[in-house]
Amino acid sequence: MDMNEIKEIFFQECEEQLAELESGLLKLNDGDRDPETVNAVFRAVHSIKGGAGAFGLDDLVSFAHVFETTLDCVRSNRLEPNQDVLKVMLKSADVLADLTNAARDGGSVDQARSRQLIKELEALANGELPQASAAEPALKAAAPAPAPVVAPPVNEEGFQPVAFSFEDFEADEPALIEATCYEIVFRPKSELYAKGNDATLLLRDLSRLGEMSIHCDTDGMPPLDRMNPEAAYFSWKISLKTDKGEDAIRSVFEFAEWDCDLDIALAGGSAVDASEELPMQPVPFDLSMLDDAPAGSADEEEQITTRDRDAAVSAAETASNVLQMAQSSTRAPAEAQRSATAAASAAAQQAASAATPTIRVDLDRVDRLINLVGELVINQAMLSQSVIENDTNGTSSINMGLEELQQLTREIQDSVMAIRAQPVKPVFQRMSRIVREIADMTGKSVRLVTEGENTEVDKTVIDKLAEPLTHMIRNAVDHGLETPEKRLAAGKSAEGTVRLTAKHRSGRIVIELADDGAGINREKVRQKAIDNDLIAADANLSDEEIDNLIFHAGFSTADKISDISGRGVGMDVVKRSIQALGGRINISSKPGQGSVFTMSLPLTLAVLDGMVVTVANQTLVVPLTAIVETLQPEASAIHSFGATQRLISIRNSFCPLVDVGRILNFRATQANPVEGVALLVESEGGGQRALMVDAIQGQRQVVIKSLEANYTHVPGIAAATILGDGRVALILDVDAIVAASRGQSLKPEMSLAAAG
Amino acid sequence: MASKKTAQKTLRLSPVLDLNEATALHEKLLALKGSAVAIDASAVERIGALCVQVLIAGAKNWQDQQLSFTFAKVSDAFVKTTQLIGVDIDPLMAKEI
Repeated sequence: MDMNEIKEIFFQECEEQLAELESGLLKLNDGDRDPETVNAVFRAVHSIKGGAGAFGLDDLVSFAHVFETTLDCVRSNRLEPNQDVLKVMLKSADVLADLTNAARDGGSVDQARSRQLIKELEALANGELPQASAAEPALKAAAPAPAPVVAPPVNEEGFQPVAFSFEDFEADEPALIEATCYEIVFRPKSELYAKGNDATLLLRDLSRLGEMSIHCDTDGMPPLDRMNPEAAYFSWKISLKTDKGEDAIRSVFEFAEWDCDLDIALAGGSAVDASEELPMQPVPFDLSMLDDAPAGSADEEEQITTRDRDAAVSAAETASNVLQMAQSSTRAPAEAQRSATAAASAAAQQAASAATPTIRVDLDRVDRLINLVGELVINQAMLSQSVIENDTNGTSSINMGLEELQQLTREIQDSVMAIRAQPVKPVFQRMSRIVREIADMTGKSVRLVTEGENTEVDKTVIDKLAEPLTHMIRNAVDHGLETPEKRLAAGKSAEGTVRLTAKHRSGRIVIELADDGAGINREKVRQKAIDNDLIAADANLSDEEIDNLIFHAGFSTADKISDISGRGVGMDVVKRSIQALGGRINISSKPGQGSVFTMSLPLTLAVLDGMVVTVANQTLVVPLTAIVETLQPEASAIHSFGATQRLISIRNSFCPLVDVGRILNFRATQANPVEGVALLVESEGGGQRALMVDAIQGQRQVVIKSLEANYTHVPGIAAATILGDGRVALILDVDAIVAASRGQSLKPEMSLAAAG
Repeated sequence: MASKKTAQKTLRLSPVLDLNEATALHEKLLALKGSAVAIDASAVERIGALCVQVLIAGAKNWQDQQLSFTFAKVSDAFVKTTQLIGVDIDPLMAKEI
């Protein structure tokens, strides 16, 4: 394995760890006090730190270290994870994500922000509780620190971050700790090496802590021809005389903690006892040759100081602990701590093994497979069609076999699609960060509630969902929710709620974004639309139509343009991206109670269940999800309405009759409804229409071939497919047809009313 | 077979012997089986525990076959690393240097 590959895996793992971290923190935020949740959060930060250390990502390591220290306080119940604490932690998780991204893709992060957070975290670790104004405790924490060498930039809140130095901790350290002798048994596992770590580096760091004697146990070595060169066989027994304490030793191994068996014990007597039992090799003190950067001595020094600082910090944290141990020199505390560590790592292993095994596959490979299966489905359809055409008696065994084949191909297709299906969780998690940031910027207090995070949907849909969702969340917080004062005045709780829900509905995924804010100010929207010449001043619009005005390009009701929203690019972009995914978006808003945005998206962009129909000798496919029922109209049920409109009466209610052939310009005159079939469809905007087609051929699953990619966008047509006979059939865009039936002509740009 | 006397072969080690090199080193050693080997470690700047494992396994193997397996030349880094991790290579050092 090459180092870059390992690094790539590290970053992939980082992403998972960050997601784990965030969901854990959110759980804590909701009052979950399960120690395993705290452990999971801790592990996530710890693993990121460990990996980052192996790749020399210093920024990431130093931030993760401070974060980890604070989390450790929570883990050991020294710090109560209340809302204020978690606010800082969630922000830290965001910064950690930024730092990870910066490490992977280059670029820089907001230094002032991370520095301030480091201070806030430190303040928490020192037992100072954050107060309402975050700046104050941070300043307090910074007070004992020496004056910064370079004046850091002042950030928005007028708070001047002060560089934090770990050196201060050394003052807190007990002046003299008696040098103690430890016996360490270190048994690396193969994973340790596989992760790019090396036992020699750990031992080198260990040797720097004090006087070290070492015995390497090579008995486990298999013969040369039977050994795996990348497996771990050596184990070491080390006796180390150090004044730094057990924690300093543990911190040497902390990056590798889960990849080795480590036993640290206070030596019963002196180091001499140990060396009597086993031939120990004293390790020479001068090891400068072995440093990673032999050329740059300044670099090296820095490395050492960083490490020393780390050691100092951990030493200081548990100073009392160490002191106690050193003084009593009994084994008991060490034993207790050791068993606690063992229990923790056992729990960690248990948690790891509980997860179902997964593999990572290149998306390209999956796509290739899906494409091939799509072709297979088409081919199978062609084959069965030609058999049916050539088969005179109709019950041949070939037919039976073909039916089985059809079922199989369908199953294969479903399974392949399931590979691409992913839970919407990662996208939803990203949203919680956006909510936090916007809430901070606008000074509102917002709570994001997510439901149905495990709802699965095609990867392409997920990837393209993030952007429109971000826009909408921003809008919901910035425009939808009121300020805490206004909310209290309106008799609501000061904290606004944004609810993000995902669920499956009849073969589509429905994502709902609801806020409990003021709702859409229809008067304002209407006035703005008139000002912007979007509608005539005397236009008579329903509430729904007014609400939908906000999807119009260039529309903004915000009085002032902020960083967050209000530039009028947003909702129209949202609508366009949702439509590009084959989805629809809707608003329902109640003044004073909030707005609900509902997006309905196809589960996959690759296949579709469709009704194959004939219109004016053309074969069209109508998405099955749109069809409510089909019926044969009777002459008595058809009523004329106005000059060209016709209505059909279905169970005593009237429904506009839409001649698909006329709207798509397949024929010049309206067809006779009695000779055709009516498909009752429900458009996303609510309301039913009866689409009139000439005949129904059947129902089948079709593979969607993008028309835009292969030809160009055709108004009223969503995509195309290849039928069993090899002909291309167009897939109808039902909503566009319905919109066109309302009097607007079919335009590539969706018309205003189509939003309804 | 073990007693078959063949000319001594030299294996020159790469400067960096990390995880990536362990398999290669293992293969090189296997290829030299059956003849006396002198390891030239004079160019070694960095050696990881995995490669030390391979060399030690090799030394044992050669010892079992009663063939000579020596470190003809060693670099400072090589010696210090082996000392650090407590692997005693003194008995394997070539006597002429």
